[in-house]
Amino acid sequence: MTEPTATPGAPGDPQHAAETRRVNPVAAHPITSLVIFVLVAAAILGTLIVPIYDSETPKLGDFPFFYWYQLVYMPAVAVVLWIAMLLQRRLRRPADTQIAGSDGGPVPGGAR
Amino acid sequence: MSHVNTVVFTIVVVLFVFVTCIGFAAARWRRADDMLHLNEWGLGGRGFGTFIGWFLLGGDLYTAYTFIAVPALVFASGAIGFFAVSYTIMVFPIAFIFLPRLWSVCRVHNYVTPADFIRGRYGSRGLSLAAAFTGILSLMPYIALQLVGIQAVLTVMGVATGSSNTYVKDTPLFVAFIVLAVYTYVSGLRAPAAISFVKDTLIYLFVIVAVFYIPTRLGGWDHIFGAAQTHLAAINPETKKPNGAFIPTTKSTGSTELDFATLALGSALALFIYPHTITGALATKRRDVVKRNMALLPAYSVLLACIALFGYMAVADKTTAAEVKKAGNTQLAVPYLLQHMFPSWFTGIAFSAIIIGALVPAAIMAIAAANLFTRNIFKEYFKPDASPRLETRTSQWASLVIKFGALAFAVWLPHTFAINLQLLGGVWILQVFPMLVAGLYTRWFHRWALVLGWAAGMIYGTIAAYNVHSPTSSHWANSSDIVFGHTVYIGFTAFIINLVLSVVLTPVFKALKAPAGTDETLPHQYTADPVEAPAPEPAGVGLTATSD
Repeated sequence: MTEPTATPGAPGDPQHAAETRRVNPVAAHPITSLVIFVLVAAAILGTLIVPIYDSETPKLGDFPFFYWYQLVYMPAVAVVLWIAMLLQRRLRRPADTQIAGSDGGPVPGGAR
Repeated sequence: MSHVNTVVFTIVVVLFVFVTCIGFAAARWRRADDMLHLNEWGLGGRGFGTFIGWFLLGGDLYTAYTFIAVPALVFASGAIGFFAVSYTIMVFPIAFIFLPRLWSVCRVHNYVTPADFIRGRYGSRGLSLAAAFTGILSLMPYIALQLVGIQAVLTVMGVATGSSNTYVKDTPLFVAFIVLAVYTYVSGLRAPAAISFVKDTLIYLFVIVAVFYIPTRLGGWDHIFGAAQTHLAAINPETKKPNGAFIPTTKSTGSTELDFATLALGSALALFIYPHTITGALATKRRDVVKRNMALLPAYSVLLACIALFGYMAVADKTTAAEVKKAGNTQLAVPYLLQHMFPSWFTGIAFSAIIIGALVPAAIMAIAAANLFTRNIFKEYFKPDASPRLETRTSQWASLVIKFGALAFAVWLPHTFAINLQLLGGVWILQVFPMLVAGLYTRWFHRWALVLGWAAGMIYGTIAAYNVHSPTSSHWANSSDIVFGHTVYIGFTAFIINLVLSVVLTPVFKALKAPAGTDETLPHQYTADPVEAPAPEPAGVGLTATSD
């Protein structure tokens, strides 16, 4: 175990203090964070709220709405999550190298 | 062995032998210096990238539940079965939120199981034991579901012998299962990871062919949906109610919108709490691999939706529908449909795909349950100084025992709806959600409140699931219950009870100054992304940080 064993996370711990001093990435990028939140929430709510798609019409080809809606929603969720992931990468880039340093290994933060 | 089709039988046996060889050979794949370490046997070296990770997780998440149980429910009850489609859409954005945090903290602290994390976060052996117990318990019916899936295929193949003795009748099933148990013992997680390439290829092949070919044989999608709608609206002479619903209804009981939504949400919350899915996720090498896979795995859900539609195809095909009715087992819908629609050689491929598709997750589930037993019960309570070597040996043996426990579930529990085996597992595992997922964000919850919430959820869920029975079904045979006049998934109700109790009792215990336990994790560790896998401790030395 690489972490200190004596009262880790306690307010007096110097490492803890160093961590909390770092800029919160959400506060640093409020708009990007909001976009990510909306994207992920929409991905969940779009199928959770059943009345949205609970009908036979409009049909797409021979498929009733209830069925094709769910089929179309899947690739849409995939795309949305991919975008959210790319946005998150932008969000955390500045902090990345610091985190890696504290974990004892150099990370090519944001190099990819 | 009366009506065995030689071509089908030969193809299935050849492909089964093929994956068995892969299973044994996998022990040499990406070989590490010290294979007798739980990070190696139990997590495949924690080094899988996006590509292998996608196959492994896909092979792990999509099981006999997908291939047999979901279409069986669609065949019998219609639209309500599509909750599984909604669930596999929702699950990825939900896991996208919390799974990377779990990956990071487990990576930094070398946690192998979710209960390891709970132990470290709350400094509570009891809470960790509760999580481990629940994990093992909930995997039992889930592994049993895989067996039921294999059994369905074997029955249609005609290899289940005519004997009325269960043990004689299911000999082929037992043989397949013992072979699986042996190569899992030898190769650990590497076996299902390697086999999942074969599994996924076969599944994609047969589903894509089926979804384009079968409708041409049945007069097009218009006819398939039409036949399903007519059948579902017809009155069942036994229950005097319609057979099912083509679209979820807005009534208060039956196949309702609320039942649909709670089944989907409950299952989605549960999926990445299951020990075997966490095992799959922890086997990946970088935090981004987890995230990327959450965006890539919906490709598999499209497959699940297509397979769900097989249920309607089976309704539209009169021969299949008649045979399923005669056998009195809806699980046979997909195997019979495939057998009627395809030439023998392709039926053989499709049947192999389903059998292998059930073996892969069964192996991962057994490994996950074995790791829970070793790390959180054996090491914690019986042998705190267990070396990594002893841990691995224990896990290997535990994986065998667990498989046979699941066999008992498969033999004893009613099979009227195999899907209930998974939903029953879901009722239990959902009770770990508050301690695990809330724990990734906050230490606000008091560990004693979480234990009591967990206990209440478990007790309510188990009793409710046992009590649901009607003249036409037995105990444990349904997963939705009527609460305040509305049909709701039992797991969801139990989860709400658990959560409310945890929230209400936390301030009480804090006011009583009950000991809060030591938290060994640090805030930044939940977003960490270490490149190197945690170094294995030298043999003979236990994890120092997990003992008080």
